[in-house]
Amino acid sequence: MSEENWIEVGSTDSIEEEDLIRFDHQDKTFCVYRLTDGFYATDGICTHEAVHLEDGLVMDDEIECPMHQGIFNIKSGEALSPPACEDLKTYPVKVDNDKIFIKIS
Amino acid sequence: MKNNIIILGGGQAGIYAAREIRQNDSKSNIKILGEENLLPYERPPLSKDFLLDKKNEEDLYFYSSDVLKNENIEFENVSISKVDFENKKLFAKNDDVYFYDSLLISTGSENKKLSLDNNLKNDVYYLRNLEEAKKIKETVSNKNKITIIGGGFIGLEIASSLSQLQKKVIVIEIGNQLMGRIIPKQIADLVQNTHLEHGNEIILNKQIEKITKKNGIYEILLNDNSLIETDFIIAGIGSTPAVKLFENTNLKLDNGIVTNQFCETSIKDVYAAGDVSNFYHPLYQRNMRLESYQHAQNHGICAGKNIAGVKTEYTSIPWMWSDQFNLNLQLTGICDDYDEIIERGNDINNGVIYFFLKNNKIRGACGVGIMGKVGRDIRITSKLTEKDTIVDKQILSDQNLKLNKLIQK
Ligand SMILES: Cc1cc2nc3c(=O)[nH]c(=O)nc-3n(C[C@H](O)[C@H](O)[C@H](O)COP(=O)(O)OP(=O)(O)OC[C@H]3O[C@@H](n4cnc5c(N)ncnc54)[C@H](O)[C@@H]3O)c2cc1C
Ligand code: FES
Repeated sequence: MSEENWIEVGSTDSIEEEDLIRFDHQDKTFCVYRLTDGFYATDGICTHEAVHLEDGLVMDDEIECPMHQGIFNIKSGEALSPPACEDLKTYPVKVDNDKIFIKIS
Repeated sequence: MKNNIIILGGGQAGIYAAREIRQNDSKSNIKILGEENLLPYERPPLSKDFLLDKKNEEDLYFYSSDVLKNENIEFENVSISKVDFENKKLFAKNDDVYFYDSLLISTGSENKKLSLDNNLKNDVYYLRNLEEAKKIKETVSNKNKITIIGGGFIGLEIASSLSQLQKKVIVIEIGNQLMGRIIPKQIADLVQNTHLEHGNEIILNKQIEKITKKNGIYEILLNDNSLIETDFIIAGIGSTPAVKLFENTNLKLDNGIVTNQFCETSIKDVYAAGDVSNFYHPLYQRNMRLESYQHAQNHGICAGKNIAGVKTEYTSIPWMWSDQFNLNLQLTGICDDYDEIIERGNDINNGVIYFFLKNNKIRGACGVGIMGKVGRDIRITSKLTEKDTIVDKQILSDQNLKLNKLIQK
């Protein structure tokens, strides 16, 4: 595992519990979540239509899309409720010295 | 016990009911009868991404034939023309007879039609199903000036799509605002401005007097004597529940099929769900009929449970959306029974929401914003309505304060 793949997102206190932030890196965009048991990351854009999930609602382990209420599991990316039917890509996350990193490639 | 369960109407409510029945009952025969020769499919993209070529036919089906086969759910393409509730029989146009032990009616709704001279009957287009969407897409490709009669959700969505296809679009609406009185005028005006900014013309407060056709061009005469020339006409003037089949039976009808909170109709073993049903909502303590994607799904699932013997009350808070250009409009709850209105936000980029309150509790809300800007707040609003929460109006009206603060209390 090469160190370069871990990209710094920000400090752990930049995300409230049961909430998310948007994180842009180069030409890609992500959502980084803080759940009760840790931090998680997914692609930023809903797989149904091209809306950013940053305005969605985090409930337990799920993110609900703000456009049509498609629901994804944040940890697995699985599409749980229509109209979303394609899974969301997820990314590994680690916390080091109160900083959040995600592994993109 | 093994039953014959028939689902009359192969749309969204029908397919979700069928799958839910199978989840709870592995033995009964489940047969969906649908007059469209297509497996159940999503209608929202018909006026939007399908017209824009961003989605094609294959993207619209809820489930493949493999899923239905695996779950032993039969789909038969047939149009039912007569019902005999007493003897539990359905008759097809070709005289085939279907017997049921339990029946779910999920026939959806039908578009209202303009009263036109006979020679123009085929000239005005409507949009309810995939076949009509295909016809519109094909015919519109070599037309430039399109007139849409009716400024409701579907008419405006078509107007948005055709404008994005570089067509000149005129919308004629009989009322004094778009999308009917249920939408706050301020929100209707914001949506109207977006149409105008994209070059669409909106004509309010006008009625059609006469349509004539000359050399392939239509002339629409309005009640102020103005004349509109157009290449193509689409009407979206509202819909009615598809209940003609039941009009001379003893099934209780009143703006659709009257059902209780368990999707049961006035006749034993006959259920109804989706657009066609005027159902009792225990939270609002009244009947209502909804035409919405989420409702068709959830109501179908609830009917499926009840048919399979798992008694389940339908308590979902109403919710629907409409997408036009880059705007997403959402409605939750009911917006016609309130003693106070509270506004949140005033800029479409960050979203604008109107809350309708009664006795300091939210009954419903309507919001519009760019893309997903109102979604989270509308969703939280549904939860607050469901929990019958007394709300802090300061938080509701201040966009800088998060609504989920209200939920955690
Ligand atoms: C163009 C369009 C855009 C929409 N956009 C949105 C949106 O953006 N957001 C939203 O929330 N909702 C939207 N809706 C509404 C939503 O799609 C409907 O509420 C939903 O499809 C209703 O599901 P249903 O199962 O009750 O009826 P339908 O899905 O309409 O299914 C009914 C089926 O029954 C069949 N049928 C009727 N009579 C018979 C008979 N006698 N014999 C056999 N079959 C019969 C019909 O042919 C049809 O296939 C839209 C609807 C349309 C038409
Ligand atoms: S854009 Fe996310 S569910 Fe439609």
